[in-house]
Amino acid sequence: MSTIFKIVLLSIFSLAIAQDEFFQPGSSIGGYGEMHWNKANDADGNITKNEMDFHRFIIYYGYNWTDKWSFKSEVELEHNFVADGEGELELEQAFVNYHAGNWGFQGGVVLPTAGLLNEYHEPPLFLSVERPTYSKYIIPTTWFGNGIAFYGNYSGFNFRLAIMEDLEGENIFYKGNIRDGRGKGYKTTGINLLKNLSASYTGINGLRIGGSLTLNNAPLADDNEEASSDSTIAVQLYEINAKYDANNFYAVFEYGKSGFNYDGANLPGYLNDDDETVIWSDFSSSGYYFDLGYNIGGFINTNKLIPWVRISNVSKNDDDVSKQTDYLRFGLTWWPIYDVAFKTDFANVTTDGTTTTEFNFGIGYKF
Amino acid sequence: MALQQLNLILGLVISSKFSQVIFPLESAQQVFVGLIRFKLISNISANLKPFILILISAILFGGSPIKDASEVFITSQFGDSVSIKMNTLHLNAELKSQVQNTVRQTFYRDELYYWTISQNDSTLAHAFLDNVLGKSMPITFLVLLNTEGEIISSEVIKYREAYGGEVGNKNWLSQFIQFSDTSDYSVGKNIDGISGATISVNSLSRGIRKIALLYPLVKDDLK
Repeated sequence: MSTIFKIVLLSIFSLAIAQDEFFQPGSSIGGYGEMHWNKANDADGNITKNEMDFHRFIIYYGYNWTDKWSFKSEVELEHNFVADGEGELELEQAFVNYHAGNWGFQGGVVLPTAGLLNEYHEPPLFLSVERPTYSKYIIPTTWFGNGIAFYGNYSGFNFRLAIMEDLEGENIFYKGNIRDGRGKGYKTTGINLLKNLSASYTGINGLRIGGSLTLNNAPLADDNEEASSDSTIAVQLYEINAKYDANNFYAVFEYGKSGFNYDGANLPGYLNDDDETVIWSDFSSSGYYFDLGYNIGGFINTNKLIPWVRISNVSKNDDDVSKQTDYLRFGLTWWPIYDVAFKTDFANVTTDGTTTTEFNFGIGYKF
Repeated sequence: MALQQLNLILGLVISSKFSQVIFPLESAQQVFVGLIRFKLISNISANLKPFILILISAILFGGSPIKDASEVFITSQFGDSVSIKMNTLHLNAELKSQVQNTVRQTFYRDELYYWTISQNDSTLAHAFLDNVLGKSMPITFLVLLNTEGEIISSEVIKYREAYGGEVGNKNWLSQFIQFSDTSDYSVGKNIDGISGATISVNSLSRGIRKIALLYPLVKDDLK
């Protein structure tokens, strides 16, 4: 037998036998949840809301076949039950993952990387009782859908490309935001495919900075008679984000902007609730929030206790002042252990010169 | 004839793989002993012996990229002039509970691999290989301690999940340098967190602390 043949054979056997003695195939479970008590008053001090809600209950289930091939899923129950159009039951994640050290692939129901909270949305990971309003209307958190994603990291830099189902142009047309255009993996289309490209850097202790660009020509459904058959709404969302959590300082900044542009032969319109014809016009939405807090847990001998302030603006339509809201929110968040957070916050919410108030209390956990 | 021989070889490779999957602790040597015990080797023709020798070498020398990576890291820290020798440390129940109760994290297994790093017959340092659980998979890490029990360096040898791999960053791991069994390992106070890697950060910080606490308890028993 030639030496080369022996060496080749040795290499093949070595690779075949080389294995991971610490890995054991098996399943894993986890989850998170949050209970909220939301109160609100109008400008005259009248109570407009006093609601207790077990907002989210999520079970995470995963199975690891090998050290490289695994399956991950998240099933979410919102508002504690589902009946008569109330509450939501959603499969928020369900993908096969191939992970090879510093790069990998995911396919199934995946998340685009957009904003800090979309992929990391467990309640102990953000300060406020409710997720920031920015993370609802500018980044439609939790944003998920059918698709695939490739990711990689190198020397503190992380990159990810997700290619996903189309947004529903019809719903963006009527409702004017990405949030209502999410297909959520339910019989969605793959005509133009959504592309989400992101990068982040985590090479400095306690700091994470990142940004993303998301593009999709969202098809309008055929049943919109006034829209030409191949018409779309071109959606472009870009955002930047930064989070610093070290030396007892806690600071977060996010900014994002979306453009919505109709692309088709004739400009469609529709009748609104007042029977007025509304003609589509291109628009943009944008927003930001800035959190600043300081951990005083060391002074009173507890794990982590942060008083904080948030300044935020969310503009659902940059041309319409009635859809632009300022938030000034103060809060106190206590983590007796890392995975449990008790939260309370108070906010002044100002839209077009009118200020209302909010008071929230919440308990969140993850495991 | 040649085809049958190849089939036999493939069969052996597959069966040895399975035996290690089912009994992960079974070492390559035991597979070797097993082969002799069942007289597989003595019954095969001389023609097949090179295949078998290659197979056995592959099992003995090609089996553990994790140990190889650990030794590469140790060599990168101390250079080629030192001698390094791997041993296994068995953890008894008393030892385990002593450490686990303080850190509030269980040991991944009842034994640890460790390397003794020495030069001219004097011990310079020890390196411990251990695992903690991330979100759903083990994180394999190595901690190097000097003979005073102070951490010289640490390294993530293998990270198996899509999220949280930032705990492998050199900057983050360098925070543990000079820590010992008496240091404060609190994440957020003494150890900076990593946004997006919370589970891994908390888990690995505890894992590194476990090794630092274990060291003075086992120091005199190390080879």
